[in-house]
Formats: sequence, structure tokens, C-alpha cells
Amino acid sequence: MSATDGIKQYTVRATPEAQEAGAVALAVASLPESFGPAAGTNQSDVHVISGQPGWAADAAEAITAGARAVIVVNPAPEGVGTLAEAAARHNTVVVLDQRWASNPAIPAAEDAVRSMSGRAALLDTVATAAVGTDSGELFADHLAAVVRIAGPLANLRHLSRGPHGYTTTAVLANGAPVAIQGVVSNARPAALDLRLLTDDGGVSVTLPEPVAAWPATVKVTGPHGELLLPTIYESAHRATWRRLKRHLDAGTSPSDLHRFAALTESITALS
Amino acid sequence: MGVGILGAGPVTQAIHLPSLARLGEILTVRHIMDVDPAVAESVAARVGATHSTSIDALLGDPAVDIVAICSPHQFHAEQVIAACRAGKKAVLCEKPFAMNAEEAAQIAAVSAETGVPIIVGAMHTFDPGWLAAQENWDDLPETAHTIRSSIVLPPNARFEDFATEIITRPAGGTPDYTDPEVIKGALRGGVMGLAIHDLPLIRRFTPDFKDVEVLEARHVRPFGYVISLRTPTRTIELRAAMNNTWKPEWSFEAFSDHAALRIDFTPSYVQAGSAVATFTRGSQTTVHGPFEHNGYEGEWRELAALAAGTKQPPSAQTLIDDLTFALDIADATVANVESQHAVAEGAHA
Ligand SMILES: NC(=O)c1ccc[n+]([C@@H]2O[C@H](COP(=O)([O-])OP(=O)(O)OC[C@H]3O[C@@H](n4cnc5c(N)ncnc54)[C@H](O)[C@@H]3O)[C@@H](O)[C@H]2O)c1
Repeated sequence: MSATDGIKQYTVRATPEAQEAGAVALAVASLPESFGPAAGTNQSDVHVISGQPGWAADAAEAITAGARAVIVVNPAPEGVGTLAEAAARHNTVVVLDQRWASNPAIPAAEDAVRSMSGRAALLDTVATAAVGTDSGELFADHLAAVVRIAGPLANLRHLSRGPHGYTTTAVLANGAPVAIQGVVSNARPAALDLRLLTDDGGVSVTLPEPVAAWPATVKVTGPHGELLLPTIYESAHRATWRRLKRHLDAGTSPSDLHRFAALTESITALS
Repeated sequence: MGVGILGAGPVTQAIHLPSLARLGEILTVRHIMDVDPAVAESVAARVGATHSTSIDALLGDPAVDIVAICSPHQFHAEQVIAACRAGKKAVLCEKPFAMNAEEAAQIAAVSAETGVPIIVGAMHTFDPGWLAAQENWDDLPETAHTIRSSIVLPPNARFEDFATEIITRPAGGTPDYTDPEVIKGALRGGVMGLAIHDLPLIRRFTPDFKDVEVLEARHVRPFGYVISLRTPTRTIELRAAMNNTWKPEWSFEAFSDHAALRIDFTPSYVQAGSAVATFTRGSQTTVHGPFEHNGYEGEWRELAALAAGTKQPPSAQTLIDDLTFALDIADATVANVESQHAVAEGAHA
């Protein structure tokens, strides 16, 4: 850590894969007071690793090596019990940078959806991603965001899965059907679309890819008309870094791993 | 060219008469028939047409060249056949065309024998937005792997009232959703009454439509469905919710690895112009429409051309295939619900 005019700046080092997948240079450059690259071979405050299978062990290693914080970019579903223990023991902040679940519009989307979910008639969601995307990875990213927004789902089950995507079914707490579809295609920019319908309106959410700071949209429809919630021109990557900074400054620990454990459990139960 | 209409309920009042009013130069309503004499008389009076309560009177009226069948669905097959036998110039049958494959085959045989062209009132297939998509979709129908039909509709009455002043309207009730028979009936009705509008579009993108299977069918309250379908080469998702929202949405989507088509249709009943078709191919987007008229008016333009002999009718096989595709999905949907129910009962036993 270095001090610049009394503002804490945390040093950063990323693996080459994480650098690319997480657009780390851009995120750090866009928060220049808070973060900066670690000099030479010095130990850094923040370690950024990519979420390829086996990432939980890499993250635990970074913690033992003295990281104050770890960012995991696009974590694949896997057990995080040991990692969570290590993080707690060393007081290390572990945050996950997820394609859609980390979008800064998520809290508003979550509020909007949860305030209506008792009256839900249908939750319909589609994620699209480029050809070559593994449909299992797409599903994990998709489900992470859906659960963040809508809460836990019951009776989760794949109806079909293949190279072109998946069709998955579940129900909400009130019994309303949930339809989750993944489409692998280069036709459109990758995105997640979610709509909750109630008897007289609903919520519609679109979440973009984090490669640019294009905003998510959250629209709430009711008898009054339709309300577009304020748009936030910030990528999921940068929002993750800001969140990390808040935890580091305040000495608090995020619930990322706890949530991720539940996600991994749902996905493991499926296959 | 003179038009005669069998059945003068909300569809005739709100959809067809306003469409025909826009086409006064080529079509004139001459005769309105309804089993309810008061309805027949008052609707006929709106357009200065003759009225009657018998199908024979309408079919025997020499002023009637084109017959539109807008009665409840169980009468469609016999009325189409009677109109063909009466030697009319063209027939429009409101969807669904028939309620089973035998009826459809009988209709096709009579149409072939009499040479009277028939079209089914699947208005989206006549929508200029769909027709523009057709001209620009290249190989998408052959290469698509994922197809979605998504419908969110306010109650019909909202749009009927934007279109006209309705004089007859059936009373609704509150169904018992715990009764599996109610759910089965609602889902069959959903497929044959609502999904049926877009099943001809979906079929156009599904060469192996004969091998369609239902992976799961679920009811959406108060009225709607989520039906996941699959063929050996296609994933097809059908969604519908009819509720009390003011905000309609009616879309059709097809995706291949490299291109996607999305068509946004205007709501039923109103004359709100055509659908808009949007192609996306990576970072390139092309939009077709909106055009000034919708598929209802498209239907009538087509009928006028068929009756004048300036256009070839669709093959009867197309109409039969569209209907059997819908019936297959409706049957498999009901079977799926029955098997879910059996599993649930087993779990309780
Ligand atoms: N294309 C569309 O957008 C659309 C929308 C809704 C309904 N529809 C179809 O249009 C048709 C009519 O719909 P609706 O809502 O007006 O129906 P409806 O049942 O409310 O009205 C039908 C009318 O037909 C009359 N009728 C009953 N038996 C008859 C008979 N044997 N011969 C002649 N008339 C008879 C009734 O008295 C009534 O006035 C149905 O087949 C329906 O599936 C099409």
C-alpha cells in the first residue's frame, strides 16, 4: 500500500489470463486514486486471477502468499469451502468478477424483481453468447445473475442441453414457472434478458457484456406506465473493483463466496 | 367484389369490418349472417349489408363472392366446405382451420375438387413485416437452431374497444387451477387459440416439424403457457401470458450461428400497422418496416387477388401441415401435463 495525499491506494498484480478476461488495466486505470500497478516484483495488495477450473486453489495460494484481496474473473463453478475458510482466517477480501451478476444495475434489478415476485406469473430469461462459448459456462453465468436478481429457484432441471445452448426449467417460491434459455450464436452481442411478469405489469432487465461500459436497462411496468430506472454507464469489471475498494477501506468481507457456494451446489445437483 | 361473413362476433366487428372499411375500393360487405338475429341485424346495419340467420341464405346470395368464416371454431370445417360447394370465389376461414386432421383432409379434398381457394386467418403470415422478412432471410429457415415465440397480451377487450364498439361479449369465469382438466383445457386452448397464430411461422423455420416433441408444458396464470419443444434439429420455445397489463408484446425470433431475426407484431384487433422485422448479423442490424397495413388487411388484399384470379392460392398441403403441426403440439402438450400429474400423484402415494 502506498499513500497518495492521504488516500489509500492498493497495488495490483494480475495473471496474464486474468488481465485479459477482466480488462484489468482498463479497470485499474479508471480508478487511479484507488488502485495502481505493483512496482517491479514487489508483493501486491490485490491479486487478480482467472476463474478457470482450479481457481479456488489458486486463490487460496494467493491468500497464503499474503494477498490482502483477491479478484477472481469469471469463476467456474467449484467448491469454495476451503477458500472461504482461508479468507476468513487471513482476513482477506475475495470478490468475484462475474459476467452479469457483477453488473452495477443488479441491486436495482433485484429490488424491482423481489418487490413483485410474490405476484409473479412467469419469469422468462434468455442469455446469448458467442459461438464457441461452452454452454455449461454460459449457464453458470446466467444462473448466477438470475439467482442474484430473483432469489433461489426450486425444481431446477435441464430439459435439454447441447452446443447451441440449453433449456432449463424451475419454479419461483410462489410456484410461478421459470424458463431459462441459453442461445449460442454470433448474431447478437452477448447479453442476458430477464423478464418477470405479474398480472398487471412486471420488470424487464437486460444486462450487457462487461467489455464496455454500456448500461444495463431495468424497466418496471405497472398500471402507472413504464419506468426506466437510471442507467449506469459502468462495466461489471469496474463495479467489482469499486466494491472491492469499499470492503478494503471498511475492513468488511463480501458475501461473494457464500453466494457462490450455493450456486455451485445448485449446478452440481443438476448434473 | 362482394363479401359475406358467417358469424358476427367481436372478431368480425373489431377486426374484419374496420379492415374492409379501408379497402372500400376493392371489397364491399354485402351479407352478414349470425345465429343470433339481433347481432346479425345490427352488425349488418353498420355496413348497409343484408342480414340473415341461415348459412344457406348467405351462400345463396349472388352478391357474395368471398365468404369469411368467423363463427366459433367447431363450425369452421362444415362452413368452409359448404362455401366451397356453393361455388364462391374465395374463402377466408378464421383460425383454427379445423379441429382435427380428418376435417382438414376433407376440406382439402373439397377445395381441390371445387377449385375454390381457401386461406386461414393466421394474420401474421400476411403481415407485410413478415413478408419483408421472408424476402431478406437468406438461408435462415434452413440454418436456424433456436426459435422463440413470445406473447404478452392485455385482455382482448382492451384492443377490441380500441378497434370498435362491441355489442356482444362472452362472460368470463374464474377457473379452478387445481383441477388438472382445467389446466389441460387451458393449455390446449392456448396452443389452438393463441400459439396457432405463430405456429405457421415457426414451421417455416422447422424442416423436421413432423418430429416435434414437447419437453415440458406449463400453465401461466391467469391464462398462458410455457411450452418447450424440440425437433432433431431445432429448439423451440413458446411463451404466452394474457393478463391485465396495458403493455402488449408479440415477438417471433429465430437464431442461427450467424444471424438472428426478430419480428415484433402489433397487437391483435387494432389497425396499428405492420410488424417490424429486424435482422442482426453480428454488428450489423437491418430493419424492415413498419408498413402501413397489418396482416388483417393483408388477408383481405390476398382474398381479393385470389377471387380475381390474379394470384395462386396456397397449397392445401401447407394448410394441412400447419394444422397438423398445431394439433401435434396441442396433443403432446396435454400428454405432457398428464404425465407430470401422474408423477405428482405417484409422489403423493
Ligand atoms: N385472427 C384473430 O386475431 C382472432 C382473434 C380472436 C379470435 N379469432 C377467431 O375468430 C373466430 C370468431 O371469434 P369471436 O371472438 O368473434 O367469437 P365469438 O364466439 O365471440 O363470436 C362468434 C359469433 O358467431 C355466432 N355463431 C355461433 N354459432 C354460429 C354458427 N353456427 N354460424 C354462424 N355464426 C355463429 C355467435 O352468435 C357470435 O356472434 C373464432 O374462430 C376465433 O378462433 C381470431
